[in-house]
Amino acid sequence: MKHKEAAPVADICLLLEGTWPYVRGGVSSWIHQMILGLPELTFSVMFIGGQRSAYPSRRYEVPSNVLHIEEVFLEDATRPTNTRAAPRVADPQQLLDLYRFLHHPDAPEPELGERLLDCIAQGRLSLDDVLRSRASWEVLSEGYRQHCADPSFVNYFWTLRSMQSPLLMLAEASRNMPQARVLHSISTGYAGLLGCILKQRWNCAYLLSEHGIYTKERKIDLAQATWIAESSGQALNRSLDAGSGYIRTLWIRFFERIGQLTYNSADNIIALYDGNRQRQIKDGADPARTQVIPNGIDLPQWSRALEARAPGIAPVVGLIGRVVPIKDVKTFLRAMRGVISAMPQAEGWIVGPEEEDPEYVSECRSLMASLGLEGKVHFLGFQRIQDLLPKLGLMVLTSISEAQPLVILEAWAAGTPVVSSDVGSCRELIEGGSAEDRDLGLAGKVVAIADPQATCAAILELLRSPRRWQAAQASGLLRVNRYYTEALMLQRYRDLYKAAMENS
Amino acid sequence: MAGIGFELRKILSRDSYTATLHAYVYAGLISSGPWVLSIISVMLVGIISLGLVIPNSLVGQFLVTVTYLMATSLILTGGLQLYFTRFVSDRLFEHKYEQILPNLLGILLLVTLAAGVLGIIVLTVMFDQPLIYRVLVLSNFVVLCNLWLVIIFLSGMKAYNRILLVMLVGYTLMVASAYVLSFLKLPGLLLALLIGHSALLFLFLYDILREYRAEKLIAFDFLDRRQVFLSLLATGFFYNFGIWIDKFLFWFNPGTSNIVIGPLRASILYDLPIFLAYLAIIPGMAVFLVRIETDFAEWYDRLFRAIRDGETLQHIGQLKTEMTLSIRQGLLEICKVQGLTVVLLFLFAPRLLDWLGISSYYLPLFYIDLIGVSIQVVFMALLNVFFYLDKRTVVLELCVLFAVLNGGLTLLSMYLGPSFFGYGFTLSLLVCVLLGLHRLSTALEDLEYDTFMLSAR
Repeated sequence: MKHKEAAPVADICLLLEGTWPYVRGGVSSWIHQMILGLPELTFSVMFIGGQRSAYPSRRYEVPSNVLHIEEVFLEDATRPTNTRAAPRVADPQQLLDLYRFLHHPDAPEPELGERLLDCIAQGRLSLDDVLRSRASWEVLSEGYRQHCADPSFVNYFWTLRSMQSPLLMLAEASRNMPQARVLHSISTGYAGLLGCILKQRWNCAYLLSEHGIYTKERKIDLAQATWIAESSGQALNRSLDAGSGYIRTLWIRFFERIGQLTYNSADNIIALYDGNRQRQIKDGADPARTQVIPNGIDLPQWSRALEARAPGIAPVVGLIGRVVPIKDVKTFLRAMRGVISAMPQAEGWIVGPEEEDPEYVSECRSLMASLGLEGKVHFLGFQRIQDLLPKLGLMVLTSISEAQPLVILEAWAAGTPVVSSDVGSCRELIEGGSAEDRDLGLAGKVVAIADPQATCAAILELLRSPRRWQAAQASGLLRVNRYYTEALMLQRYRDLYKAAMENS
Repeated sequence: MAGIGFELRKILSRDSYTATLHAYVYAGLISSGPWVLSIISVMLVGIISLGLVIPNSLVGQFLVTVTYLMATSLILTGGLQLYFTRFVSDRLFEHKYEQILPNLLGILLLVTLAAGVLGIIVLTVMFDQPLIYRVLVLSNFVVLCNLWLVIIFLSGMKAYNRILLVMLVGYTLMVASAYVLSFLKLPGLLLALLIGHSALLFLFLYDILREYRAEKLIAFDFLDRRQVFLSLLATGFFYNFGIWIDKFLFWFNPGTSNIVIGPLRASILYDLPIFLAYLAIIPGMAVFLVRIETDFAEWYDRLFRAIRDGETLQHIGQLKTEMTLSIRQGLLEICKVQGLTVVLLFLFAPRLLDWLGISSYYLPLFYIDLIGVSIQVVFMALLNVFFYLDKRTVVLELCVLFAVLNGGLTLLSMYLGPSFFGYGFTLSLLVCVLLGLHRLSTALEDLEYDTFMLSAR
């Protein structure tokens, strides 16, 4: 153990919450891409999961430059480890700080966060203190009397407990983690919090990359959550409105506060695109420490696709994505009605798996029938997009929510202009972010969300005007080559890591 | 003791003086029934046989043998009683009714084997009495050990009238057969005892067999460590050991005792007053049962339902206050009723002892024993409340303390001389009750903290 602490074993310690190597998805493949793309660096990984049973097997092969994987599950947090011995006398001030920082209605001052973090990182406040000490009970019940608008004490009690204990559990579990030179967490939340704790302990540089905005996503989850009522049994059902409302407020407050802690602690705060960077600043990130590193694609892989493209503009409009409500396939169908009325030779292709939401798929199919689009619009299911993209004259994205969709970059790499709804970074991508970027011109067209008429008009405009179409294709190719290559993304992170290692 | 609480509440809800009296008489009989009825009937057997069994010293031998049988069987099974009571109530709580009967038979088998082997060893090594005496003592010992385990089911059963009837039948049978068999001298009396207790045992067993279904004959789930609490074995042992230690000390101190039969010694000086005094606890026991099983149990239920069902902390606090109040009232009432009994007995004791033909030499000891056994009622009430609150360590602590103090202080009182006899017993109970009250007060103060933060889920 001493040996481990003496010399850092890995260059970068990645802090991952519910993603790589157990779950497939955008963030996970990005992490995999990073680890493979930076073979000269070594990594250690701390994986944070909710329930052990939710992660039965690894979905990614662990590359050889990953030296260590530590796993910790939040479900272990609320189980008292030692029920026999009497709980030790805890410092009431520390527990009061914990309550004050996480749950008090008034926003806490940053110094309080610093103090709390130090106290958790150094182990002065233990999980057992939170779970079993008298001081903890007193702070909890006093907080209930002062602020709780939920009538049920049991709900309040278990809510606070399931917020507080993971913090301490993570702090204790991370003691097993061999020291690394640089910390890098791929979200705020628990992973971000762990970063704060480890930074305090290792005194090293700490990078934060956010693909989505964790706190915002949690708020959406909470707004839809049914588990809030379920977790506490029948008790709550009676007072669902008043009760769960307060419990929700408590959870949102909790995620906001630990997010704030992470923003305060991270040395570099990286967003995928400027829109998210603005959001981070709004949520309390110091603008000086924020920056944007967009995702990139592996361009050499796409040269064949570009060559495969036939000359001229194919009258084929494609939507690439899973057939689910968030992609808003219905708006695409309505837009295609207009397109086909004006250009009878046009076709619409919907490319993507249909297993996830069969009900939505059948709604889409009957909408297609009622719009009279049979034979004109085709559901193609899952396809290899390297083969498919060269056949499209235009790619359309009607999503109601995206971050930085790789499929736009891929469409450009295959020489396909893009019409997209104004979500996530889509406008920044298509119209350009910085001044030089803007000078590259429009790589397609941005339209409002759920606006079939505007979408239809944009499609027709591009398909019918070879000059504009050529210009869009050229600026798309130029833009993806200049700003959105994998090599560029990796180089930016390589530089960041290098600088961080020198600072540590 | 959910069954009796329900029954008592039903009677009390009729809300009249006779109904209330009825409830208390009921409770008195149920709570002190087997215990007090045993003392009375054994004494009755003794009194009846005084004229019939010649010489009279044989009656003394009988009484002493019975006392030893009671003491040793209670100490031997005391731990198992608590241990098995908890096992049974946990299974009832889980609605696993089919497990009850096979496990009862399992534990009875074990107890029979253990008591039999132990009895045979002791009786062969330490006794040189006729074989018939030794066989009868052995059978009585085994039957008593079994009876103590069967009796724990009584309070959970609803047919109280039937229980009382069975007791009446059993003890009548005992007294009657003693009368009939008295010509057989000592073996006859022991046989009568055996007949009486066996009748009780088998009649109760019959009732239990009828009440619980079972899919198999015998089971030993109670040996599974995850389903039981081992500390209860120690608690039950120390409680019973504590109750008898002072008597044993007097019996085996040559200065205060004399040989009665075989290795068995008795201390007439010490024994008679305390057994008489035990008869005086009936009113206190009745009050204890009514108060704890109705008021307290009801508030206890409401409190923990409120906690589970997600009431406010304020409401939980109010219910706790009510529950605390019900404990305080219960203890106060026990003190009042038992106090009144003691005062009355203080006044009438000289005449009573005179009437029973007992020397007034015993009076001071009788007085102090009266106070002692009255405190014991409070002690038992406290232990019961602690069991409700699941404070097993506190109960263990109190029982061990009681055993140690009773042993130590009794030795001290023997050293200090006859005028201090009985003070050891009474004083040790007093200390335990005071400590128990202190512990109770802390336990109630910390109730919410303990419930939420310390009970493992």
